[in-house]
Amino acid sequence: MKLRNYTLRYLIIALLFVIALWAGLFYAVILEEVYDNIDDGLKNSKILIIREAYANEKVLEVREFGINQYKVAPLAKGKLYDFSDKFISTFEFMEYDDDNEPVRLLETVFNDKNGNPYKLTIRASMVEEDELLEDLLTALVALYIMLVVSIALINQIILRKAWKSFYEMLNGLKNFRLGTGNSFTARHSPIAEFKTLGVELEDLLKRNEAIYASQKHFIENASHELQTPLAISLNKLELFVEKNELSEEQMMEIGRVSDTLNRLVRLNKSLLMLSKIENRQYADEETVNFNQLTEQLVEDFQDLADYKNITLSIDTKQPLTFNMNKGLASTLVGNLLKNAIVHNHTGGKVNIIISPDSLIISNTGRETALDKDAIFRRFYRDITNEQSTGLGLSIVNSILVNYKLKADYSFNGLHTFTITFPVKES
Amino acid sequence: MKILIIEDEQGLREVIKESLEKEKYIIETANDYLSGMDKIGAYDYDCILIDIMLPNGSGLDLLQELKKLKKKEAVIIISAKDAVGDKVAGLDLGADDYLAKPFHLAELHARIKSAIRRKNHDGDTSVKWNNLKLSPEQRTVSINGNELMLNRKEFDLLYYFMINPNRLINKTSLAEAVWGDYIDQADNLDFVYSQIKNLRKKLKDARAEADIQAVYGMGYKMS
Repeated sequence: MKLRNYTLRYLIIALLFVIALWAGLFYAVILEEVYDNIDDGLKNSKILIIREAYANEKVLEVREFGINQYKVAPLAKGKLYDFSDKFISTFEFMEYDDDNEPVRLLETVFNDKNGNPYKLTIRASMVEEDELLEDLLTALVALYIMLVVSIALINQIILRKAWKSFYEMLNGLKNFRLGTGNSFTARHSPIAEFKTLGVELEDLLKRNEAIYASQKHFIENASHELQTPLAISLNKLELFVEKNELSEEQMMEIGRVSDTLNRLVRLNKSLLMLSKIENRQYADEETVNFNQLTEQLVEDFQDLADYKNITLSIDTKQPLTFNMNKGLASTLVGNLLKNAIVHNHTGGKVNIIISPDSLIISNTGRETALDKDAIFRRFYRDITNEQSTGLGLSIVNSILVNYKLKADYSFNGLHTFTITFPVKES
Repeated sequence: MKILIIEDEQGLREVIKESLEKEKYIIETANDYLSGMDKIGAYDYDCILIDIMLPNGSGLDLLQELKKLKKKEAVIIISAKDAVGDKVAGLDLGADDYLAKPFHLAELHARIKSAIRRKNHDGDTSVKWNNLKLSPEQRTVSINGNELMLNRKEFDLLYYFMINPNRLINKTSLAEAVWGDYIDQADNLDFVYSQIKNLRKKLKDARAEADIQAVYGMGYKMS
């Protein structure tokens, strides 16, 4: 639930109670006032009627309401009567609309000029007053709805305005990736809290970026520093063996040391390459013709494939070109092709299909699928192959990330890597 | 043939020196920018190996100095920093080649020989050894004057052996030189052996006075 809807929900519920309470009170007060008004009118009529009864005896003979709004009933003499006014709200049948309508009655007792007691009932219709109260209720409901709607609208507008910088920051964060070079900048906000948040976020991410960069450079520097000692060790071993004073067994041992050193050199080179790709040090780009490139690489790997009796088939009938660094392009295809041959069995197959928007390399090999999520990770490798650096596909992945390309792995008898290139607008 | 090595790392300087002396080169060394500058100014060499990162200066400045002095030496940059920028800058300043550390000594020999050969292109560029003669430009090999037909890989292999005769060549170095940079990632280099077997047979059939032997665990050697 969005923040503004969240606050709005509670606001509306709270408002419902507040308005209901207020409306109830208001209604009660108004009702009181209306009855008060009618009762005053009835009291006034009573005074007028009694005064008239003193002057005109006929008044005492009105027994039914009829056209008068009062009736008089004689009471037995000598008893003790309550002379106070009693007000009653009740319904009475009205011919006018053939229905019972609300009326207000005043009942009282009075003595005429001869001292005879009479009961006087005065009637006042409350039809109009009732309608007034109904209108009042309608108005209250309308008021409530209008209030809620306008509060919701204003809330929406104000919140949107107030949280604008926040949502911009959120968006910025969503698009932020460490090490991609797009730095995060918080937009200016008039709200102090968001201003602080923005500044703190900027600071935090800058620090992260710096740590990330120094970590990347550490790998690069460490690999650089390793090159010279590795060179010396390897070269010294070569010279040492050349002296030719060693037994066959000793030579074999040195050969193993040399192989291990060579593996270290490869590992180091791969790490260096990986950090260079991630540091975007392969800047110069050109239009790479993948058909040519792949054919060249297939030729380079032909001997290796022949040795394992692997059939390389390549379909380059359709052209594929992409703007990128040429060295990286051949590393990309080279690594995939090398994997397809190395992780294959004797007498296997490697198929390469080039189309205008994809490069697909599929190969025979192990009978089970590889772990799709792990293969592009650093140092993931096949347990059966201790010579591999486990960095080949990481390098592939880094190159793809750099050029915003995508690779997919699938297994349906053949291990298939598909690199999808953006379709060119023609 | 005189070669100057300008390299600050003592260990590396010594192995290069020792290895090149076996090839009958006369070697002089310098261990920093200033001593390198002194030697460049005072003497002429056939080839100079320059490390880019030197104490008190850059190898690129030495290249500039060589250019200023209008020296004609073949120059090879050896650098731990396999940076494209350095490579381009070095080659622009007149260096003939760029070799990233770590390298195999056999590869260094090959680079030095071809750099020197390119500098003195007025003469005969062919490489001779016993009764073998190989012309890198024409890509032909002859034995006692009779041409020997080799495929591309066999030719490249033989060329590498002829530049490094009587030297042990690491199989990784051989694979990299002939099959390219990616091949060294291959899980094993046994396929190199089958190519060498073919080459050896062709040489034997043509009565070449050359034999390629496997050196256990390490690589190969032509003698």
